[in-house]
Amino acid sequence: MNIRRYWVSYLFMLPWVAYFLIFMLYPFFLSLQNSFLDINILNPENTRFVGLTNWINGVADPYFWRSIFNVFYNQLIFISLSFVCALLAALMLNEITFLSSLFRTVLFIPVVTSVTVAMIIFDFVAAPTGPIQSAMMSMDMLEAPIFWKFEQWLPMPVLAVFSAWKWFGVQMIIFLGGIASINRSLLEAADIDGAGWWRKVTKIILPLIKPQIVFVLTINVINGLQMFTEVFMNFDLKGGPHNAALTPVLHLYQTGFEQMRMGEASTIGLLLAILIFILTMLQLKLTKGKED
Amino acid sequence: MNKFNKGKALIYFGLLMASAIVLYPFFFMIINSFKPGAEIMHSPNSLPSVWSAKGYIEVFDSINLGRIFFNTIFVSLSVTFLNCILSAMVAFAIAKTKMPGRQVWLRLILSSMMVPAILFTIPVYMMMYEWGWVNTYRVLIIPGAISAYNIFLLYQFMTQVDEAYLEAARIDGASEIRIFFKVVLPMMRPAMATVGILTFMGAWNDFMGPLLYIRDDSMLTLQMALFKFQQDIPAGNLEQVWAMTTMIAVPVVFVFFFMQKNFIKAFTGVGVK
Repeated sequence: MNIRRYWVSYLFMLPWVAYFLIFMLYPFFLSLQNSFLDINILNPENTRFVGLTNWINGVADPYFWRSIFNVFYNQLIFISLSFVCALLAALMLNEITFLSSLFRTVLFIPVVTSVTVAMIIFDFVAAPTGPIQSAMMSMDMLEAPIFWKFEQWLPMPVLAVFSAWKWFGVQMIIFLGGIASINRSLLEAADIDGAGWWRKVTKIILPLIKPQIVFVLTINVINGLQMFTEVFMNFDLKGGPHNAALTPVLHLYQTGFEQMRMGEASTIGLLLAILIFILTMLQLKLTKGKED
Repeated sequence: MNKFNKGKALIYFGLLMASAIVLYPFFFMIINSFKPGAEIMHSPNSLPSVWSAKGYIEVFDSINLGRIFFNTIFVSLSVTFLNCILSAMVAFAIAKTKMPGRQVWLRLILSSMMVPAILFTIPVYMMMYEWGWVNTYRVLIIPGAISAYNIFLLYQFMTQVDEAYLEAARIDGASEIRIFFKVVLPMMRPAMATVGILTFMGAWNDFMGPLLYIRDDSMLTLQMALFKFQQDIPAGNLEQVWAMTTMIAVPVVFVFFFMQKNFIKAFTGVGVK
C-alpha cells in the first residue's frame, strides 16, 4: 500500500539508488576484493589471491610515503600563501564599495580557467626565459636561471605558487561570505572603542570566521591529496626528479595503469580514502564544536 | 567626490597590484599567441614586433578543433542537463513528498559525499573496460550524471519552497509528477543555475576522465586535446600552443564575465552551510 501511495517518490529516488549501487557500492566492494588479489587487466586469467600482500606492500612502499610527504610539503606552502592572500583580498574588498565587484571578478578569473590552460601559461611564466626570472636576473636578485623541474626541492613549492595563483579566489569568496555575515554592530562597537585595524581583524573577524577557516584548511589538504593534472603535465607522467613531485594519485595511476598492477592500485585508493575520511571527520569535528 | 582617505587609496593600490599579478599570465599568453614562432623563443616577454595570426591558422590546419569543441560541449551539456534534472528529482522526493524514510535517505546521500572520488578510479575503470565503454561518450557522461552534492544543494533550496503552493496544486488534483515539473522546477531556477554552473565547469575542465577512457583523437575533449597538443608540438612551433591555449581560455573568461554574479554565488555555496 505504501508503494502504491508513494510510487512517484520511489520513482524519483531511482536515479540515485541506481547510481549509488552501480558507481559507488559495487566499485567499493570490487576495490576491497581487488586489494586482496594480484590482477593484470590484460590477462585476467592470471588473477590470484595474495592475502594481505597488497596492503603490506602499499603501506611499506616508500613511494607512497614520499607522495604523502610531497603533498604536505606542497600544501604547507600553498595554504600559507593562498590563505594570507585570500584573507587580505577579502579584508580589502570588504572595506570598499566602488569597483568592489569588478576587483572580485578579476581576482576570480584563474579559478574558472582549467588546470590545463593555467598550467601551460604558468609553466612559461616560471620558465628561465619567462618574465619572473628575467626580471629577477636584471635586478641581480638571481645569478643563474633556474630550471625548477630538474631541482630536487623546487617542484612542490613552484606548484604551490601555481595553486595559490589559481585557487585563492575561491578562498577569498568564502572568507568574504564569512565576513559579510558578521554582525555590523560588533565592528562598529570596536570602532567606537578606538580599536585599530589589526585588533579588529585578530580579535573579531578571525575568531568569527573560524568555521570558514577550518573549512578552507581541510578542504585544501583533501584536494591536495588528490592533486594529479599539474604533476602529470609537468613531469612527463613521472614523479619528477627523485620523485620530488610524486603525488598519491600519480602513484596510484602509475601502479594501476603503467605497471598494470590493479590490485595494488586499488589498495592505494583505499589507503588514500581512509586518510581523506579521517581528515573530513576532523574538519566536521572542528567546525561543529565551535558552532554549538 | 567621495572623501578619499589614505587607507582607501592604499586598498585600491593593493587591489590594482593584485589584479595585475593575476592577469599578467593571461596577457603573456595573448601577446605570445600573436608572435611569429621564433620570436617567442628569444623574446617571450615583449610585445610582438609583427602581429601575426599564423599560430591560429596552423592550429586549425593541424587538428580538428571543431570536432573537439563539439565533443566537449556535447559531453558537458549532457552531464549538466542530467545532473540538474536527476538531482532535482531526488531532492524533490526527499524534501517535498511524504515518502517514508526520508531522513535515512538524506543521511545516506550526505555520507556518500564524504567518500573521496579517488577510491573509485580503479574499480570503475575495470568496470568500464569490461563493459566496453572505453572510448565512448557514455563513459564521460553516465558516471557523472548525478551527484550527492547537487542533490544536497537542491534539497536545501527546496525545503525553502512554501508548502502552500504544493498543497494548492494537490487540491486542484495535480499529480506529484506534474507538481514537480510545473510548480517546483520553475521555482528552482536560481538553484539550478548554481548547480548547472558548477557541474558544467567541472565537466568542461575534466582531465582524468578523458585521460583514462579516450583513445581516439576524434573523441578527445578540449583539456586532453590541449595537453596532447602541447606534448607533441616541436619547440619551434610554440605559436600554435599559445594560439590554442588562448582559444580555449578566452571564451571561458568571457562567459565568466557575463555571468560572474551567478558564478560567484555558486562558489559561495561551496563554502560552509
